Amino acid sequence: MSLAFNETSNVLQARAEHNEKLARRADRTRATWFPIVLLALLLAVPALQFVGNFNYVIHLILFTACYAVMASGWNILGGFTGYISLGHNVFFCIGGYFAGMLLARFGISTLLTAPLAGLVCAAVGYLIGRITLKTRGPSFIISSLALVMIARILFDNWHFVGGANGVALPANDLSVEWAKLPYYYAFVVLAALTVFISYKIKHSKFGLGLRAISKDEIKAESAGIDTRTYKTLAFAISAAFVGMAGAIWGEYLTYIRPNIFLIILVSVNMVLMCILGGKGTIAGPVIGAILIVAFNEIFVATLGSSEFNILATGLIMALALMFFPLGIVGTLAAKHRLPRFLNWD
Amino acid sequence: MADIIQTLILGLALGGVFALMGSGLSLVFGVMRIVNLAHPVLIIAGAYVAYWGFRLYGIDPLMMLPVAIVILAAIGVVLYKLVFEREARSAKYSEMTVLLTFAIAMIVEGALGGFFSNTQRVTSPDYATDAIFIGDVFIPTGQLYAGILSLIIISVLALFLKYSSFGYAIRATTQNREAAELLGVNVNRVALVSFAIGIGLAGAAGCLVSFVFSFFPAKHWEWIAVLMSLVVLGGMGSLLGTVVASFLLSVIAAFVGTYVGATWSTMTFFLALFLILLVRPQGLFGEKPELA
Repeated sequence: MSLAFNETSNVLQARAEHNEKLARRADRTRATWFPIVLLALLLAVPALQFVGNFNYVIHLILFTACYAVMASGWNILGGFTGYISLGHNVFFCIGGYFAGMLLARFGISTLLTAPLAGLVCAAVGYLIGRITLKTRGPSFIISSLALVMIARILFDNWHFVGGANGVALPANDLSVEWAKLPYYYAFVVLAALTVFISYKIKHSKFGLGLRAISKDEIKAESAGIDTRTYKTLAFAISAAFVGMAGAIWGEYLTYIRPNIFLIILVSVNMVLMCILGGKGTIAGPVIGAILIVAFNEIFVATLGSSEFNILATGLIMALALMFFPLGIVGTLAAKHRLPRFLNWD
Repeated sequence: MADIIQTLILGLALGGVFALMGSGLSLVFGVMRIVNLAHPVLIIAGAYVAYWGFRLYGIDPLMMLPVAIVILAAIGVVLYKLVFEREARSAKYSEMTVLLTFAIAMIVEGALGGFFSNTQRVTSPDYATDAIFIGDVFIPTGQLYAGILSLIIISVLALFLKYSSFGYAIRATTQNREAAELLGVNVNRVALVSFAIGIGLAGAAGCLVSFVFSFFPAKHWEWIAVLMSLVVLGGMGSLLGTVVASFLLSVIAAFVGTYVGATWSTMTFFLALFLILLVRPQGLFGEKPELA
């Protein structure tokens, strides 16, 4: 019997069987029904429009889904790989402008061009990542901030896309009750897709490599992982998701302008959602998105001015970093208190 | 020819102010390894102290310098005690502190915006709009005074670091924290005092900024990358490097502004930051790639 293990293929097969057993055991504790029910409920929400005006509810869910896409996308780079980027709204902007200009010039809906915008952002992200991912830690954070500043000056002065005034996009010709629906469904489906893909990435060999990089890059490299390609690909994938969100967001707002995409609050929100929910977990960014959007609505409704919104966002970020650096999902999981329906990993 | 000299002088005049703005950042990084993204917003807080004295009591912004230094240094002590002392044990210290200072920057910006509103402010003492003419070339007096004063403040700081025994302790901690601690330096006290000095320098810079630039709370986002470019080019933690880099970059920016276009002059700093981080992350005077 022991002789049989000298054959490499036998060892590999035994290992594969063992891994499958582990995966089955993990699956038994998983509440797969929860995300599916949640998705079904969200898809059914617009039916409320038959009984009254729920545009505000639809807007809130749409807004949350948009941020869930962006935060989950950011999480692939910031959470799995450990490279914290404060400049991911650059891709939000590029996606928004690419699809928005196609809509303005040729009248093609961004719902169709969003995947294309994602590809463009992935390509741009690949090139930028190729350069900036040479730096690490605080240097990378600073270079990502510089990226936002450079993009802001470029877009403010690029006359083809309207400079600082931006471009107005045609609104769709649906009646008021149904005008939000195409974007609502687009964002909910995109959010589900993003969550599913980040789950798939986390459980692939690629995701394992990314997590190794976040633990210790030098050791990961000496273990034979091509760290440069891995992290650049992670950058490109996360840029693609953020870009797709930007593409649809532009048409939803019916105008594109540098100061809706390239403000610091957008990129902070992405980071904050992941930190609050749990960096590197699948459910974390979604929970973070729900919480931050809710906080923002409450602050704006009760306090009114945007200054206090910035103050409160900063305060939440500082407190979360100081007392819950693992985030909600991470802290609960570390204490073995994570409810089954939140265990999406 | 006169154009070139004029541009050079305007660049040098601003360089002095930028040097003071960057020196506090450099000191704090050198001693504590904190990339303080909240530094620019604290400079703006200093500028509001000067503005407040000027508007309410008609005090000259230069006279408000000591007041701003004391107030901001006190804020520095509070921040250190509240936030950074307990973070020293954190595993991912450097990334953690960058994000924390980012959060602090937002808090201070929101508070300033709530108190002073987001309109453009500037203090306007007589000398701020005056200029000295030498032939065809003019020197704006406000920037001249600000530049000279910041060089004086930086020289005092450099002398303090070079010759006082506490300055010795600060330099030792900058070079090697563990070794300094082994030799009996109280590194926690050194960190506290140098953080307070660094933030106090932000207050001093704020007073000078208040009549050189117009300011509003959200303006600090542009300055983050500008100041970072100075400090990174000079070599994080090197005071001399920061001063040299400030003059170098602000002269280049002045030439870009005159001959390429005013909108592109700030781009100089951002592109420089990007390039330095990639080509020579240790900067001009840094010894090893400290940030990487």
